Amino acid sequence: MSLIIQADSVSKIFQQRKRLPGLSGTLRGLLKPETVPVRAVEEISFAIRAGEAVGYLGPNGAGKSTMIKMLTGILAPSTGKVHVLGRQPVEERVANAREIGVVFGQRSQLWWDLPVSDSFDLARHIYRIDPARFAENRAEMVEMLALGSFLDRPVRQLSLGQRMRADIAMALLHGPKILFLDEPTIGLDVVAKDVVRKFLARINRQRGTTIILTTHDLQDIEEICPRLIMVDDGRLLFDGPLRSLRRSFGARRRLRLDFYTDPGPIWIGGARPVGSSGTQREFEVDEDGRSLIDLISALPPGTPLRDASLHEPGIEEVIRTHYQRRRA
Amino acid sequence: MRETLMLWWQLMRLRARARLQNRLSLVLAWISQGFGYAGAFASIWVILNRFGGLGGWRWPELAFLLGFQIFGYALGAMFTFTQFRFMEEQVRDGEFDMLLVRPVNPWSFLVFSGIDLQYGSHFALGLVLMIMAGLQLDLDWDLLMILRLLLSLMSAAMLTGAMFTALGACAFVLGRSRFLFGLYFDFWELSRYPAIIFGLPLQLILLTILPFSYMGFVPVSVLLGKPVPILGDAAPMLAILAGPITALIAAWIWRACLRRYQGFGV
Ligand SMILES: Nc1ncnc2c1ncn2[C@@H]1O[C@H](COP(=O)(O)OP(=O)(O)OP(=O)(O)O)[C@@H](O)[C@H]1O
Ligand SMILES: [Mg+2]
Repeated sequence: MSLIIQADSVSKIFQQRKRLPGLSGTLRGLLKPETVPVRAVEEISFAIRAGEAVGYLGPNGAGKSTMIKMLTGILAPSTGKVHVLGRQPVEERVANAREIGVVFGQRSQLWWDLPVSDSFDLARHIYRIDPARFAENRAEMVEMLALGSFLDRPVRQLSLGQRMRADIAMALLHGPKILFLDEPTIGLDVVAKDVVRKFLARINRQRGTTIILTTHDLQDIEEICPRLIMVDDGRLLFDGPLRSLRRSFGARRRLRLDFYTDPGPIWIGGARPVGSSGTQREFEVDEDGRSLIDLISALPPGTPLRDASLHEPGIEEVIRTHYQRRRA
Repeated sequence: MRETLMLWWQLMRLRARARLQNRLSLVLAWISQGFGYAGAFASIWVILNRFGGLGGWRWPELAFLLGFQIFGYALGAMFTFTQFRFMEEQVRDGEFDMLLVRPVNPWSFLVFSGIDLQYGSHFALGLVLMIMAGLQLDLDWDLLMILRLLLSLMSAAMLTGAMFTALGACAFVLGRSRFLFGLYFDFWELSRYPAIIFGLPLQLILLTILPFSYMGFVPVSVLLGKPVPILGDAAPMLAILAGPITALIAAWIWRACLRRYQGFGV
């Protein structure tokens, strides 16, 4: 499979203009603008193969949208290069736009005052879609996303979930090779999120459409994207399968022991005490491969053990503790 | 090319359809704007009657100028005003980004998807004034004259669109452009009058960096056979070329600003 998206040491530095109030402030800003540099993306590299589904995760301000904007031809990188389908998106914006689909969760491509179907017709003209192919694609989208009941309703009357489904359909009508989604599930309820996730996973599998989506919601990634790219503060933190994130972040398993009576201080080789309350003790286990039996047998003989358990930290928790450590 | 024209046509159709959903508000807009302009023109008429003329312009001549100015302006503004006045907002909340991810020219897309039907009364008022004054004035309405009138109206319309385009483009770089439209209309009002009533410095400004004189005074003077100060013999040519020239400049400004576009962090 070929590489269809490449980022090579990409950085984006914005000169954020300090805004001064009032007309005099505006004029002063025109003549002598004061700016502060903001490093939104710093030295990020990755490559994505055709057919992959990649989740781009990170907290607010991490630089996710900025990366999407560089890949879709809205912004040029400050340094480094991005290539999408062999092109530099800003240099060949129109050619790039023909072959990609873009959905911004917070905005819409649909015509607000008109029925959804009018916007779809417009897409046919914008992307110069062959009428037969258009009809086929449209029917498929309407069926898969269950758009039938509101195709003739003005967009402003749709619920957020309906609108998002229509927006995603619109971005796919021309059969793009890559679909970029910036927070496609933001603001949706559980059911609507589920519909969107199932659909995206299916499109990726059945049509082979490459998907790259940004999100705050780990579940989006668990259900759609085998591969995770994680960023924070503009930098790449992790790139790989979701399941190896835990190890890569050095997240430790936790051993919890419950005793009949207070056992006093307890030492177990290869496990670090991290907390105690009454008859409970908690440890972090250094070694990934060690079994529960192995750990228990390291207890001094005769300790009044009642129960023992070993916890895998949830991914969510791993990420949370990671961010908290960075903030501190 | 055919596909591009089809797209533009489709955009105008959809835009008109959306606007016509609320016919009542459209008609009310026509009426209120019509009354607004008619009132302004009536007060000019009153002043003119009191003093017998304005810088050597009599009523039918001035009426022709008023009609020409509002018609030419409306012709340009219907393709540009609404969208470019909102450039600041479109840029700020990321709507403009949505245009850039489509395989379209963003300027054309804005122009044709934002065509505005609000100018009905401008056109009606402009036509009535031009016809009434044109009949009263002792003019030779042959084919050449009509062609010159149409070309100068086109030029005035292009000039209007070009200026709005250039002002809107500032939003790409500054993140704001709204305030420029306020300044624009302060000067625009001046383009209703024969520019000879202003002092020389202002006349010069209105012929150069703020070319409002080409929206009315210059082309109408040429059509009515009145002398044009400063420009002299170049006036007939400039009456028709001012629009295309400013359009070229505006296109250059638009591209230069768009190249520097960095979005605004949404
Ligand atoms: N056009 C811009 N001009 C100036 N600064 C910007 C611009 N766009 C983004 N930024 C800044 O760059 C940083 C990254 O922004 P970005 O929108 O890419 O973050 P994000 O990961 O998408 O965040 P969120 O989860 O809130 O959407 C932020 O500090 C933001 O303020
Ligand atoms: Mg974002």
